[in-house]
Amino acid sequence: MTTQNSFTPFAVRDICCGLEKVRTSIQRRLIVAIVISQLVLAIGLIDVAVFVTRAQLRKAFDVALQGRAMSIAALVRYSEDEPHKLFFESDLTPPPLEAGVPDLYEIVANHRTLIVRSSNWPAKIDVGPPKGERWIATYVVNGIPYRALRLDHIPVLDREGDAPASDFLRVTYASPIDPVNQAVNNVLLYIALGSLVLLAISGGFAFWALRRSLRPLAALTASAGAISTSNWELNPPEEALGTLELAPLTQAMTSMLNGLHRSFTQQREFLANAAHELKTPVAILKSTLQSLLQRPRTSDEYRAGLEEALDDMARLEKLLHSMLRLARAEQWAAGNLRRDLTPVDVGLTCQLAIERLQAVAQQRDIKIDFTANGPIRLPADPDDLELVWSNLLENAIRFSPMGETVRMSVHSNNGQSCVEVVDHGPGIPASELPRIFERFHRADTSRARDTGGYGLGLSISKALVEAYGGTIEPHSQPGEGTRMVVTLPVQR
Amino acid sequence: MRVLIVEDERRLAENIARSLRESASYAVDVALEGEDGLYMAQSNPYDLMILDLMLPRLDGLTLLKRLRSGGANVPVLVLTARDEKESIVALLNAGADDYVAKPFDLGELLARAKALIRRGKGQSAAVLKVANIEINTADLSVRRKGEMVTLTAMEYRVLEYLAHRPGAVVSKTELLEHLYDFNWERFSNVIEVYISGLRRKLEDDDTKLIHTLRGQGYMLRA
Repeated sequence: MTTQNSFTPFAVRDICCGLEKVRTSIQRRLIVAIVISQLVLAIGLIDVAVFVTRAQLRKAFDVALQGRAMSIAALVRYSEDEPHKLFFESDLTPPPLEAGVPDLYEIVANHRTLIVRSSNWPAKIDVGPPKGERWIATYVVNGIPYRALRLDHIPVLDREGDAPASDFLRVTYASPIDPVNQAVNNVLLYIALGSLVLLAISGGFAFWALRRSLRPLAALTASAGAISTSNWELNPPEEALGTLELAPLTQAMTSMLNGLHRSFTQQREFLANAAHELKTPVAILKSTLQSLLQRPRTSDEYRAGLEEALDDMARLEKLLHSMLRLARAEQWAAGNLRRDLTPVDVGLTCQLAIERLQAVAQQRDIKIDFTANGPIRLPADPDDLELVWSNLLENAIRFSPMGETVRMSVHSNNGQSCVEVVDHGPGIPASELPRIFERFHRADTSRARDTGGYGLGLSISKALVEAYGGTIEPHSQPGEGTRMVVTLPVQR
Repeated sequence: MRVLIVEDERRLAENIARSLRESASYAVDVALEGEDGLYMAQSNPYDLMILDLMLPRLDGLTLLKRLRSGGANVPVLVLTARDEKESIVALLNAGADDYVAKPFDLGELLARAKALIRRGKGQSAAVLKVANIEINTADLSVRRKGEMVTLTAMEYRVLEYLAHRPGAVVSKTELLEHLYDFNWERFSNVIEVYISGLRRKLEDDDTKLIHTLRGQGYMLRA
């Protein structure tokens, strides 16, 4: 498996179940994002730096150009021989800004008379018409880029005695701009190299910091990995608890685990209970068969023994069925009541239950009296309701003296449907009342045993009623019979 | 031997009772709930009590404690659906002598019941020997000088009871109390019929085994 892990830049590939799954790595994504944003930032910074540097250098260059222009303008003198004749004192020409590459200059007096032009002044250069006092432009002369400055209307500095200064000069001076470009390129190079180094350092730092800040996640993963059916406690490590982003995850995991633990415990308890309660019926069946085999018997005896075993089986089956029904009802009561329930008539389910128990009642000469106060409908599964009423009626019949009447009535009360089952049996002592809904609780001894009850009926009824959001209440006094009242909300 | 079964599952109680009657030739009484069980245990001299724990009206553990605090030392074999260590320890501390966990094996229950009865009478071997008589309590066979002797069920019961207490005087009342369950009519003269039957099958002119002590009872001795 691990040999399949090839480190691609953005994803870790591994082969699982024959399918190639590509897993993205948050860490890698974050590092890539950081590096890209830093790169953008660096490029932006370089741009700005180059722009500013170039502007600064140009400005300085222009100042130097102006100085040159002024200094050559100062070399224009009046001739001593010819009055008002201007000439250029070429001996004093300043050295070029860049050694080896001569500057270009031209001085024109009063827009008419060319006073001087540098020897390398190109034949074809169009400085164009006058464009104000001061003008600046860039030219390429003989393959070398020049920056030119033109100053107009500069008075001749030289004074000829008391003559009025009426002559004006137009000075054009150009120097190669290469040194400036060179300097800008140098700056660009230095900044770019520096940025690259810083980028590498900060990328490395980001990698390290991310690793470090993802450590709580790894720790949380480790503690989540320690969860098992014998250990439901999530022990979130301190670093995970102290991490803002992990707190909701930790919380969600804890509550999920609690829910799972509850339901797991419930299931396990049910299983333990079921196993425990099955022991007695299994012991009965086993003892029936073993005692049958203890000595040779006649075929009639074998037949009788097998019939007994079948009876035992039937009881076992009934118990199993009841336990499953109870488990399901309790699961619903715990909040998992499913279903798209359609409204059913409560009175009708009562009548069905009465019909079902009529035979048992007749056996004991017991009359079942039923009154319904109008149709009451509520959303429910009719089978569930019928089972609840059957269980209540069965108890009422079982504990009623022969020839008595069991009363069952349905009425509505404040948006609730109310079903009562009343018997005239011996009643339930106050000390027993809280226990009658306990699983496997049996009120009386031999009678309950003979009818095959396992003490699950009332537990099932209670769980079912609660699953529908209702209540079931026993009212009883010893010697005065028992009244069971079931209240079910009509609207859920 | 007479055994009391206190078990609320009628079918289970009946199966155990049938097995004890058929395979051990014991007299068996059944109580279906705790209060009855305690009363019966206190008012009859049982040789063994088989006690279920989950009982209506009075649970098995309380019954056991009350029985022991009343000074009864009948051996008690407990039927339990739980086999956790704590509940077993609590059981034994409350005075139980042994237990089997449901669903138990009937043969094992029988063997444990017999062992408890033997130990209650101070015996440990399953085969009891008195003079040249061998009584195998496991398969209910009796041999005299190595030869199988055929006894009726009641003759066997009398012999087994006497053989568990060799050399002791056993009164007729004691025999009646230990050999019959509630469903039998007790006639004291019937015992004498069994005794004479046993004498005829086991004794000859030289060896007298069952001695009659007038006004006191019987004694099995070489």
